[in-house]
Amino acid sequence: MITRFPAPPPEAAPGAAPGLTRRRLLRNGTAAAGALLAAAPLSGCASSAAADNSALSVWDLFQGGDGMLMDDMIKAVSRGPRGFDVERTILDWGPSYYTKLAMSAAGGRASDVAIMHLSRLAGYAPGGLLDPFDLDLLAEFGVTRRDFLPGVWARTQHAGTVYAVPLDVHPFIVFYDEDIADKAGLLDSEGELAEMGSPEALLDAGRKLAEATGQKGILFGHVTDTAQNWRQFAALYAQTGASFTLPDGGPPQIDVDAAIRVVTFMQRLFDGRTNPNNLDYYGSIAGFTGGRGGMAMLGGWELRTLKQSKIRLGAARFPQVFEKPAVYADSHSFVLPHQKNPDPARRREAHRYIAAIVKQSLTWAAAGHIPAYQPVIAERRYAALDPQSSYADAAEVAVLDPPNWFAGAGSNFQNRMCQPLQSALLGNTSAEKAVRQMVREADTLLRQPNPVA
Amino acid sequence: MTTTAPPGADAVTAPAGDRPGRPRGIGRGRTGKGPGLVFVLPFLLVFALFLVWPVVHGLWLSLTDSSLALRDTTFVGFDNYAEAFGDPDVWSSLGNTVVFTAASSVPLVLIALGMALLVHSGLAGQWVWRLAFFAPYLLPVTVVTLIWTWLYQPEVGLANQFLDALGLGPVGWLSDEAVAMWAIAALTVWWTVGFNFLLYLAALQSLPASSYEAAALDGAGAWRRLWSVTLPQLRRTTVLVAMLQILASLKVFDQIYILTKGGPNGSTRPVLEYVYDVGFTGYRLGYASAVSYLFFALVIVVSLVQLRLFRQED
Repeated sequence: MITRFPAPPPEAAPGAAPGLTRRRLLRNGTAAAGALLAAAPLSGCASSAAADNSALSVWDLFQGGDGMLMDDMIKAVSRGPRGFDVERTILDWGPSYYTKLAMSAAGGRASDVAIMHLSRLAGYAPGGLLDPFDLDLLAEFGVTRRDFLPGVWARTQHAGTVYAVPLDVHPFIVFYDEDIADKAGLLDSEGELAEMGSPEALLDAGRKLAEATGQKGILFGHVTDTAQNWRQFAALYAQTGASFTLPDGGPPQIDVDAAIRVVTFMQRLFDGRTNPNNLDYYGSIAGFTGGRGGMAMLGGWELRTLKQSKIRLGAARFPQVFEKPAVYADSHSFVLPHQKNPDPARRREAHRYIAAIVKQSLTWAAAGHIPAYQPVIAERRYAALDPQSSYADAAEVAVLDPPNWFAGAGSNFQNRMCQPLQSALLGNTSAEKAVRQMVREADTLLRQPNPVA
Repeated sequence: MTTTAPPGADAVTAPAGDRPGRPRGIGRGRTGKGPGLVFVLPFLLVFALFLVWPVVHGLWLSLTDSSLALRDTTFVGFDNYAEAFGDPDVWSSLGNTVVFTAASSVPLVLIALGMALLVHSGLAGQWVWRLAFFAPYLLPVTVVTLIWTWLYQPEVGLANQFLDALGLGPVGWLSDEAVAMWAIAALTVWWTVGFNFLLYLAALQSLPASSYEAAALDGAGAWRRLWSVTLPQLRRTTVLVAMLQILASLKVFDQIYILTKGGPNGSTRPVLEYVYDVGFTGYRLGYASAVSYLFFALVIVVSLVQLRLFRQED
């Protein structure tokens, strides 16, 4: 889907509107004709072949509620004399988004700006699929590295060069029903979910929540899902302090004992009685909003969906049960997909646009994402957002996928890691076997020739 | 439709193609190739562009390390094929495709035949049955999978509620490695059986009434007429339905991709999904092409075996 900002004027009589130049009219008219001619599968290409002083083309993967918020943000920066002329293309989120982005960049005719999960950077920057940012230019528009958390900023780089500007950090967190959590005695004096601190404490919390609901305690949907189990595992594994690295050519550096400890704990937590072990993603959401459980482990991005239910919604960062605080997260970031002959003026405009949108990210926080741009976090209006501000500190301990070309959001790697974990949670395999399979799968992926370097 | 052609139609047209002693009138019309070629050209162009070229180009890709994300491509000979032969995922996904083909094709032929016989037997409200049996076929795959995701949902799904009512434990329809492929085959049967049903019904309706009259005069009962009159005359339709069905089942991808993404634990991943995973999310077009050519070889073998079997029967 392609949207133009600011929206083209409704009537197209020449010279009717004072701000309507002939060039602009022609451009809009051509765009409209193009949209009519190009069938949906072709529309992606149409936008990238834009002429030099045409609208800034932007690709993203935000649909539904996220998509509407992004619309609002673009509208906000499109107003006024220095407003942007933006052509936004929304593509379906999933593995295919990254296929399209890679192909467009490999052809050198990509959009001016695109959204990418920071976890995917390692598959793009080394192969020359992204163009680097000009930090001086960004600074000119008021955005510098000091505006971002060091842990997140570190992931924007490849070989010391910055290839991404984070828009948000979107963590895997817990949502809870405040009434039920209160009844279960899990809230602290400020009415927030109390810290857990140990595996036993979380197991105990599950039991108390199950008692309070009279049904189940903690809901987690993972069956047939290609990311949820990995999110859960990666968060807990990072909490043990062990490292998970994927050096090219293999073998993967994984602490097997720590991994087995984590999977064993996951099996104990989702025992199928107190906390169900056989829910799928939407089943867990339906169960939580329907009051069949007191807590749900989900991405913060489900906030808007959950808010539509009648429950008094609370949220907290993913509970720390092992030695180190850590939360699994990813970050929607702006990148400059590779263009063969970038026009300096357009590049400058792209930098200005990204800086302007990042500053709009208070709007973005409504979707449950944590703005990456720290001045927004410091605003009083952000602190007033409930329950978003309850888990804003998750960004400080965010753990992303291990960097490698095949890992990251929507990747085959996450899918492959989820498969043995799902079997383990469903009781079809032991924790040890599941971990051995994960190591094997990672090793297989590492042994493949790297197609982007 | 070929199935409704009266037996012997082939025999009538066959002599016209006699090569050496061709009647002059026909021969003269065919020596001037110009206008004929013009008429065929549009098709040939499309055929070459969308079938011949991809096949040739794919074969070339399979001999290179072509990547979706890079422009440099080097020739690697048969490296990709060597890798594919040693890749357990290739074999397990090929196995899954074969299991799915067997598990779906048999019921898709037999149930379609059964439904066609029932409807043809003169049930009241013919159009209701025809519509009911054919309607699922009209649904797009996304709708079908949406419906069945909820039917198979472990907690609130109809399938498990039904088992619960019977006092049986819940089944992990899409999460149990031993069950998932069968659950998908069942869904596929429900979804596509209507097409085979229609082919059978059309064939049944074109069977000459005279043979039934003759059989009845000879004192054949309903069962005898079914076994000795109806089924033998349906043989050509069965050959057609089985061939189309096996080819359709071999290329299974969409419903599995949407429902399980090949899970749990790779137990439902068909070879085409593996090709997709490797090529489009893994960017390794060369290797993906090699795997798809291995699959192509399998399809050719299956087709040849089928042809052989059916030739012998005829």
